[in-house]
Amino acid sequence: MTNNKPTLKARLFEGLFDKNPILVQLLGTCPTLATTTSLQNGFGMGVSAMAVLILSNLLISLLRKFIPKQVRIAAYIVIISGFVTAVELLIKAYLPELDKSLGLFIPLIVVNCIILARAEAYASKNGPVDSMLDGLFMGLGFTFALSLLGAIREILGAGTLLGFNVMWPSYKPMLIFVLPAGAFLTLGCLIAAVNAIQNYAKKKSGGKQ
Amino acid sequence: MSNILYALLWFAVISGVLGLILAFASRLFAVKTDEKAEKIAEILPGANCGGCGYAGCSALAAAISEGKAPVNACNSVSKEQIDAIAAIAGVASASEGKRYRAQVMCSGTNELAQKKYVYAGINDCVSANKLAGGDKLCPNGCIGLGTCAASCKFDAIHIINGVAAVDYEKCRACGACVSACPKGIIQLIPYDAKHWVGCSSRDKGAVTKNYCSVGCIGCKICEKNCPSGAIKVDGSVASINYDLCTCCGICEQKCPRKIIWSARSQSEEGIIRFKQDLSL
Amino acid sequence: MTIGSLIGILITSILIENYIFSRFLGICPFLGLSEKPSTAVGMGCAVTFVMTISSAVTWLVYTFILVPAGLEYLKTIAFILIIASLVQLIEMFLKKSVPSLYTALGIYLPLITTNCAILGAALLCIQNEYNLLESIIFSFGSAVGWTMAIVIFAGVRARVAFSETPKCFKGTPIALVTACLIAMAFAGFQGVELPF
Repeated sequence: MTNNKPTLKARLFEGLFDKNPILVQLLGTCPTLATTTSLQNGFGMGVSAMAVLILSNLLISLLRKFIPKQVRIAAYIVIISGFVTAVELLIKAYLPELDKSLGLFIPLIVVNCIILARAEAYASKNGPVDSMLDGLFMGLGFTFALSLLGAIREILGAGTLLGFNVMWPSYKPMLIFVLPAGAFLTLGCLIAAVNAIQNYAKKKSGGKQ
Repeated sequence: MSNILYALLWFAVISGVLGLILAFASRLFAVKTDEKAEKIAEILPGANCGGCGYAGCSALAAAISEGKAPVNACNSVSKEQIDAIAAIAGVASASEGKRYRAQVMCSGTNELAQKKYVYAGINDCVSANKLAGGDKLCPNGCIGLGTCAASCKFDAIHIINGVAAVDYEKCRACGACVSACPKGIIQLIPYDAKHWVGCSSRDKGAVTKNYCSVGCIGCKICEKNCPSGAIKVDGSVASINYDLCTCCGICEQKCPRKIIWSARSQSEEGIIRFKQDLSL
Repeated sequence: MTIGSLIGILITSILIENYIFSRFLGICPFLGLSEKPSTAVGMGCAVTFVMTISSAVTWLVYTFILVPAGLEYLKTIAFILIIASLVQLIEMFLKKSVPSLYTALGIYLPLITTNCAILGAALLCIQNEYNLLESIIFSFGSAVGWTMAIVIFAGVRARVAFSETPKCFKGTPIALVTACLIAMAFAGFQGVELPF
């Protein structure tokens, strides 16, 4: 490890906050909006995508010297779709409720922009262990954002969290939050909050200088 | 194990068929690329401003390579670049085309021009123009909300103190701001032009005096004093014919309203700063 | 399969189960290419073209190759391969035969390949067990609904661009809030039962 390579802790924070795939890079918004009706669904989607991301990053990184440049996008897509099919069949067999709630979006992990972007930007240029770690950290960021969004939507829209009532008894759930409109609204406000935090941090560090 | 081999075999067949179709199609649908046009397009700025009259830099490159356009059609390239383009196209080089720049024919800053109402609508000149012609009292005055600045691809026009001003060095005379302005008061004049009349008011002198402290009143003093007959008052506003203008500066000295500007009032950045140049 | 049921599929896919505001498919280009109405229309036309053709081709491959071979579980891989190749083919064909259309739509075609909209339509046709004609009409209607949504959104966004939004909301966040309001309008179609 050379000195100018970021530490593991720095990379973890990068994946979670600075370069969060959804909240900062704005990739992979389709599953974000559709599968975050509850914390459980969001978390399940995040973990499935993370599994595919880690495995595909690993394989692409192992094969990076053998894939010709012209067909690399097609090759990546084939590798990713292979892993997605495997994950899809596993979920269908062992987690049928997750399969029912996520529905179409499990096979759509194939065209999730995050996985292809990380394959192109990182896995095709770095070693297998590094690529796996990159997949892990980006996947953790993805899962974190999805879980946060799912939790907010579930608390406000159904008054529960993981099935347990967490609001006061007379709370009337705001149904809009579990509907599509609420998905857009929550994500928009979350990204605005992240922007505000980043602007504040920039102003603070700019003022110190 | 046989299941896996079976699936692999089928997929190899499907992929092979798709690959063959694509290979065959790439032969069948091959498009001949014009190498000369590509090389010329690399030299051109690539801003796709349309100032040359073609739909973008690649269209101009193709036209030059086919001999349909002159090699100096683009205003944004230097003499060396024109020589390089001529060398690729295999034709004789030409001098740089006459350079033009945009000029906003209005000097009505926030302090000088009167307003008719307080505008609190969309920050866009075209929208403001729909409300009784914008908030300035003068019907031909610059509204100053920045539609021209938004349309400029070269960051060459900005709103300073309520009126638009052009950065001469950055302007490429593509004409985007000229079409964007809803009042139609931006004109393309020669880059070397030393003087211009900073007003487009079409109203009589007495009315113009109420609109703005510096508007042209059509008194014709400039027209009477011009030795080459280049400046004429048409109706109620003066305008300069740049084919006849000799840059003597007599009109600027004689104008009682000080509405004829000269290029010596450029600041260091090349943008006219109305307030500091106005010696009223 | 009557004319009535076909019209029902068409209207359902355009309005009631709108591709963006109900199904959440094709959001990435929806947010990325909706700043000007002209780019929105261009993208919408490209998506309609590709989605209709690809749904037909993937249905044919599924019914006549994957099902007889017992390989339905591999449809994801097969479909994405077909869609990627098809987009490449369409791009080549347009470049050679209709250059004007290629200059208008061509830049959007690579963006469509890794787009959940196209793959989603193909998978939905299989999931809903449509036959070939129903698949074509379903995907055509979905694409028309997608185009309608993105053009409406682009129009509103162009107007919002002139307004003074708070600094942290500028750009994507205010666009998402706008989408929320349009989604609420489309929610009015939920639960509409067509008589055919």
